[in-house]
Amino acid sequence: MSGYQVKPGPEAFLPPSASSMGIVLPDPGEGHIEGRIVPEDEAYELAARKFLEAKVPTLFPGPLVLWHWNDNAAEKAKAIKRLAEAIPARIIPMADYRPKYPKIIPEVEINPNHPNLTIWHNKIDACIFIGVHCHQANLALKIIRGGTSCYTMAMCAQAGHEDACLSFRDASVAKIDKLTETVLRLKKEGVKSQGDEFKQFRNNYTVSYKPSYE
Amino acid sequence: MSKEKIKISEAMWDFMPPEYQDMVDRATYGNNQRSWKDIGSSKELIEQHSLCAGCPESIAFRYILASLPNPEDTVMVGSTGCTSLVFPHVAIQNIHSLFGNQNAIASGLKRALKVRFPDKIKDVVVLAGDGATVDIGLDMTMQSWFRGEMFTTICFDNELYANTGGQESGLMQKGFVSKMAPVGKLFEKVRLPEIAFESGCHYVACLTVSKPNRVEKVIRNAVLVAREFGPTYVQLYTPCILEIGKQSMEGLDEMKDAEAIGQRFVAKEYMTDNVKAFLKEQDAKDKAAKKAAKAAAAAAK
Amino acid sequence: MNKKVDFENRRILGSKHLKIGETSRYHKDQVYTDPHEIFFEAETKPSFVTGSEVIRDALKRASLDCFVAYPITPQSEAAALVGELFAEGYLGEYFRGESEFAVMGQCAGASFGGARTSTTTAGPGTMRAMENFPMWAGSRLPIQITVTCRGINSPLSIQPDTLEIYYLLETGMMVWHAESAQDLFDFILKGIIVAEQPDVHVPIAVCCDGFFVTHTKDTVNLPPEHMVLPPYDPYRSPVPCMDMECPPVRMMRDPFIMKSNYIHYATHASWQQEVHAAVDRSRKHANAILDGLIETENLDCEILLVSSGTAVSQGREAIRLLGKEGIDVGLVKIKTLRPFPKEEVLEATKNAKHIIVPEFNVTGWMAREIKSIIPNNERVMEGPHVCGGMTMPSEVIVEEIKKHLGLAKKSD
Repeated sequence: MSGYQVKPGPEAFLPPSASSMGIVLPDPGEGHIEGRIVPEDEAYELAARKFLEAKVPTLFPGPLVLWHWNDNAAEKAKAIKRLAEAIPARIIPMADYRPKYPKIIPEVEINPNHPNLTIWHNKIDACIFIGVHCHQANLALKIIRGGTSCYTMAMCAQAGHEDACLSFRDASVAKIDKLTETVLRLKKEGVKSQGDEFKQFRNNYTVSYKPSYE
Repeated sequence: MSKEKIKISEAMWDFMPPEYQDMVDRATYGNNQRSWKDIGSSKELIEQHSLCAGCPESIAFRYILASLPNPEDTVMVGSTGCTSLVFPHVAIQNIHSLFGNQNAIASGLKRALKVRFPDKIKDVVVLAGDGATVDIGLDMTMQSWFRGEMFTTICFDNELYANTGGQESGLMQKGFVSKMAPVGKLFEKVRLPEIAFESGCHYVACLTVSKPNRVEKVIRNAVLVAREFGPTYVQLYTPCILEIGKQSMEGLDEMKDAEAIGQRFVAKEYMTDNVKAFLKEQDAKDKAAKKAAKAAAAAAK
Repeated sequence: MNKKVDFENRRILGSKHLKIGETSRYHKDQVYTDPHEIFFEAETKPSFVTGSEVIRDALKRASLDCFVAYPITPQSEAAALVGELFAEGYLGEYFRGESEFAVMGQCAGASFGGARTSTTTAGPGTMRAMENFPMWAGSRLPIQITVTCRGINSPLSIQPDTLEIYYLLETGMMVWHAESAQDLFDFILKGIIVAEQPDVHVPIAVCCDGFFVTHTKDTVNLPPEHMVLPPYDPYRSPVPCMDMECPPVRMMRDPFIMKSNYIHYATHASWQQEVHAAVDRSRKHANAILDGLIETENLDCEILLVSSGTAVSQGREAIRLLGKEGIDVGLVKIKTLRPFPKEEVLEATKNAKHIIVPEFNVTGWMAREIKSIIPNNERVMEGPHVCGGMTMPSEVIVEEIKKHLGLAKKSD
């Protein structure tokens, strides 16, 4: 048994892939937390708590949900917005995967080739990737783990991500909504969002959010 | 993919950086009247590039992307070189792979798309430099023509290896002194347009990119002919101003000089009789469509 | 490992494909079938066939979209037989390329375009094509290639020799080594299923020893011909398919991420790690589908014979001969060279005093692989080695083992 745990970094100049350290992905119905395989419900609970505990909770939607290439993608996008509003959390898109010239604008975008820039700039301490192709998600997750202290999560439509601190597999609208419901339930139970007040950058204008302490 | 599928999920629209919103609102996907004249008034499919200031290749790239008849269903194949620094920023899916194997990649790709989408037009267009096309990849370039592969090969001929710093290439003119040709190149510029026609290309054009309307015409011809008949080849002179000792603003003059009567880039076209008849018919259709579009626009006013 | 592989729960392997039960798009007599059923439940029929015919028989059931062929001994016959399948309507596309370098590019192109793609090669062909293999892996192309190993160095030899496998080991591909024609059949079909898992999605080389496997006849149990693998779904790929049918359209599949600064080098490093991580992830799937990455017999013996390919078959006979003389030898057959079954080999060899590694190549790469992971690696006896087409008679293995143990008779 490997003792390796997938914890927030900064881990190393070049951290190993979790897979090479013996971390195996969850099977259907399971989630993954820091290297442990857990019942999926446990992952919902912890993910919701991580978001509510965070100062700068952030959602990173990827091309598979940002682009309306099928109706399911558009529905997932709506579910992501519901999740963002429930926490409340920033939405910062990963619109595509190209190495951008001359640089990215870290307030409004994240790029798989240097995701740490967006994490550092916005002081993001908890994030989730949804709708990013698995290869690019793994690049980003590992670079973030290598150089930042952000708690990384992934809602993967395929087999999950062992390079995230916490991951779901077989993502669907229902699963995103279940995470939203878990957040709302915890809030109702008295767990308060610790998030900072923030401005959501939207194209050419911004919207101020004040987390509700109700 | 139809133009309708290149759109942003409604719930995410507000969060997308403006260049992507522009791509959906103002790019010319699905517009059968698209043309190089859209440059400046619509969103281009090339977002940005890191080529040298004034590089003729960059303008050639833009003309080509504005001229493709079916960008929403085109996949491009590049190769190693200056073009591969541009391709990540092109809003048409594309593949780099290795140096020189672009026509092998395109052969497999085109056949796969034909198998997967038998009832749909899926264009494959190769765009590579002269080193990739004529030197390291010549075998695969020509073999794809021998086999009659149904895609277009475009060669950016800058007469040397630009990205590695200006070494001799097969398309370099005889006598030119460069790296790896310390006493001047000792053999003639390879006559690839003629070789292409002999090798089975149904349509071949060789020209500079000084005149955008001409570039548009040959690119459109090449793609349409590749759909119907078989391989097509376009060779475009895109001088590397850096490596031939020119200034940023001198690219256009260099191309104009090279296409003057008696020079090596006098525009030329080769095509089979069937293609000639096909293109004539196509021209008539295009003219009618343009006329109809103009009339419709006038009526709308 | 944080979780033991559930050997019973094989249904995770692509069993929920939407098209299961539908008629194949290529041949009206074939039906997309749950791989679990094909591999573990279907009634099989013994056939007496050559290895080349087995390659055809496997690909006939593979719902293959594209195969690219090129002649090189000893795979030419197999590649031609697949052509006959194409003529009979069992696969989507088939053509001859102009060289192995080009063929591997053509396979890549087809795979970039979302086609299930396969090819075969051997020896110098593998070497000529070599630049393509790390490109395939880096581009996450789940291409299936059957490598029928032969000699690679000058002077030319078309005869069996496994040296080329060593060159494949660090390409980022999965590399499995078949011992027999049955293995070859199973590994080709099972390899496709494992390679196409979204968390794996890297190419797979199924290697076998040329001539020994390709040109000899053997009894192979084949599932019914009408059962074929469900089709490849390119939209579950971990990278966008290059068909302009999925986002993002602003996408170079293999972009240059090496701008001259630290973070871009780190991106490339992470990309490389991700490819090898994908190979590691295949353990879970391969374990279940192959019944373990290794096969073992009599691990309580002090002497163990460890190898892969037909060296194992020769070893089996040597073990039988030694047994008759009262010398008990156990066996470890390694099925997957990449991922290398490190934990399994460590466990299997923990009590062995002598580890014998017979190989069909001059350098003994398998012995080095084993030596590099086990404690007290002086226990490894490298060899016997033969190469260049030589056979490895079981008696030679027996003699070498006895010599190693100090039991050999002095020669006259």
